[in-house]
Amino acid sequence: MNVDASLLGLYRPGGGWLFRVSIGWKYLLMLVLTLPPLILLWWPLTVGFNVVTLACLVSSGIDVRRAVRIGWFMWCLLGTLAAYHLITLNPAAAVIQPGNILVAVFAARLLTLSTPTPELLDALQRALQPLRFVGVSPLRVALTIALMIRSIPYLIGLFDDARDAARARGAERNVVAHLLPVVLGAVAYSERTGEALIARGLGEQHSG
Amino acid sequence: MIELNDVRVVVPPLRRDDDAKVLLDDVSLSLVERRVAVIGANGSGKSTLLRLLNGMRKPTSGTVSIDGLDTVKDAAGVRRAVGFVFTDPLAQLLMSTPLEDVTLSLKDLPRRERGRRAQGLLDERGLGHLAHQSIYDLSGGERQLVALTSVLAVAPRVIVADEPTTLLDLRNRLMLRRALADLPQQIIYSTHDLDFAADADRVVVIDGGRVLADGAPDEAIQTYRQAMGVHA
Repeated sequence: MNVDASLLGLYRPGGGWLFRVSIGWKYLLMLVLTLPPLILLWWPLTVGFNVVTLACLVSSGIDVRRAVRIGWFMWCLLGTLAAYHLITLNPAAAVIQPGNILVAVFAARLLTLSTPTPELLDALQRALQPLRFVGVSPLRVALTIALMIRSIPYLIGLFDDARDAARARGAERNVVAHLLPVVLGAVAYSERTGEALIARGLGEQHSG
Repeated sequence: MIELNDVRVVVPPLRRDDDAKVLLDDVSLSLVERRVAVIGANGSGKSTLLRLLNGMRKPTSGTVSIDGLDTVKDAAGVRRAVGFVFTDPLAQLLMSTPLEDVTLSLKDLPRRERGRRAQGLLDERGLGHLAHQSIYDLSGGERQLVALTSVLAVAPRVIVADEPTTLLDLRNRLMLRRALADLPQQIIYSTHDLDFAADADRVVVIDGGRVLADGAPDEAIQTYRQAMGVHA
């Protein structure tokens, strides 16, 4: 399984400017790059912000190929979305909808490719401190998000395994044969993750 | 010292007509040896027994204690004292890279020290060069050693390992056995590998949720072979 080719990628140490910027600025940059195309819904803006976001990644020393490796599943989804709008004769939407998703993914990768997960977790935990007043544990929320980042490659791997298994049984077109193992695998995975959290005492000794 | 007194673990029936399933019955053990192996057939109750030791599973009746700490009443304390190594390290590793996962175990240290300490722990196990690799890109043996490092990072007094070598090839199996043998902690592990079981100071054989044999490795393993109808 290639995790670099997964939706949010994997942090590797680097020396570019993005690696030196504090996490708060990175979160701000992510919002600045994502919100304008989402709000204004103008296709040149979508294209422009994709280019700028990608430029941010590349100028920080992250290889273009690594920057755009968001996984075949995501590219297929974006391609399908674009194709749908082209078929329905809405070329602007064919750029805006998948393009805005893409800019959000690239912007999220500004964070995940240049920041170790524990740092993301600490920053989230600090930002979520006010939630304590309504009885929500910031650590638990931050840990949930960190687990989500870690789980995406595994779940995509489940899709790959289910597809291979369906092919091996000559059931390529059987939707149930594709989806059922993924659902069962995801449930089993969440159970095992829950056990690991309990075994490691996470979420109980650090309730804050 | 690990003590189990009259432990019984029962799973209630899903339907009214079914009987409750007894996973462990009448288990009383006092484990003081440094290396204790638990062997038994699939579904015999080995994993249930091990999960009782760090409070992941609660006994239906009876008590389990670790150095005087009750696994139900002092669950958090028990989990700090007992590290658990799973069969599948991917289930255990919660972060994306070895460094991040070990860092997660060091939550109690000041933020600035965590990364350095985690790297040091990985270096000690010869895993330093893998610190930033994806856990999905590691071999089974490397993953299991990273999982062990994450467990050891919180300095537990006891290590419980549920079939830690089952998914490993021969080389990785031997590597993990050496790593476990070098640890100063008390280690309780389950295994289907009878050579690995023979490394222990004491072997407990579980059959149908009950202790079938308990004692020196040679005798206990012989009893297990007979019970399985296998003759060496």
